[in-house]
Amino acid sequence: MNNKIENDSPQIFSGIVVAATLAPLLGFYPLMITHHVSRLSKYWDKFIWSYGQWIPGSVGSGALGSTGSYAGKESLALIVWLGSWAVFHYLWRKQDLSLQSWLPIFSGGLLLVTLGFVHPVIDPVILLLRDLLE
Amino acid sequence: MTTTFLIRTQVALALFVLLWLGGFDFFFPNTFHIEAGVHGLSTISALVIGTFLTHRAYHLMRGVHINFESLRYWTSAATVFNLLGAISGNWVYMRYRGEGGAKDWILSHVPTFHNVMMEFKEFISLFPFALMLTVTFVLFYYGNAIATRRDILNFVGILMLLSWLFLLFGFVAGLTLAKLHTL
Repeated sequence: MNNKIENDSPQIFSGIVVAATLAPLLGFYPLMITHHVSRLSKYWDKFIWSYGQWIPGSVGSGALGSTGSYAGKESLALIVWLGSWAVFHYLWRKQDLSLQSWLPIFSGGLLLVTLGFVHPVIDPVILLLRDLLE
Repeated sequence: MTTTFLIRTQVALALFVLLWLGGFDFFFPNTFHIEAGVHGLSTISALVIGTFLTHRAYHLMRGVHINFESLRYWTSAATVFNLLGAISGNWVYMRYRGEGGAKDWILSHVPTFHNVMMEFKEFISLFPFALMLTVTFVLFYYGNAIATRRDILNFVGILMLLSWLFLLFGFVAGLTLAKLHTL
């Protein structure tokens, strides 16, 4: 049974998995970066917000409220995620890339971006970066 | 076979009982009870299916033979519920930030719950949908031929566990915030 599956199957390329996992990871980073940028600057907050105007509920006030610039952060993340997925999928669809080597990079990248959302951990770094840029 | 029966019964029972956690919201005397109920039902469903899928993830990582057709259905369902959770999450987030909403109250009473917990939760809650869509895509793309590649199966299993972990973080944070202040 197992042999039959192996003989009948076309060759499989792991590049597809690397592309499909690198893309969301790359998408999570703009989510984190835009979050900090919009906290630091009203101007950039509006700029980020403008990307989210197509999402219902992104603009509004009163009791119902609105998602505000969060919608823009989501939009930018979506663009990077889906855009990079299409590109990397096309590039690596016929390549066998080592998942064993990719796993620590992927996990490390995911851990890093997750810590980027923990304010007590990341805020000193953000403030340091801001001071360096000024 | 007995294990399958036990797991399915556990999932069905857990889903049925837990759904009331969000389902009762529909009967709350609150202007935003529909929003709250829809978000509750979609996230609880996503959590239960995601938890059920962790059993499959262990099998994938250990190389145990599993039914890939069934796995594709379950990950598709998990993807749909995670998407619904994210969309309804945007919906309740509007009210969270609205006039007289939870955000203002939390900021004036216990600001850390907004500044640390919510600002973490609102973003990492988007991860499970992306990760589960990736899993579903990979499973459909390779079809049953995926069974020949242990390294890919292992990676898919890890993605399912990661998706579940972020879902759990988001769920507990969301529930805590909802306990703190209603919509």
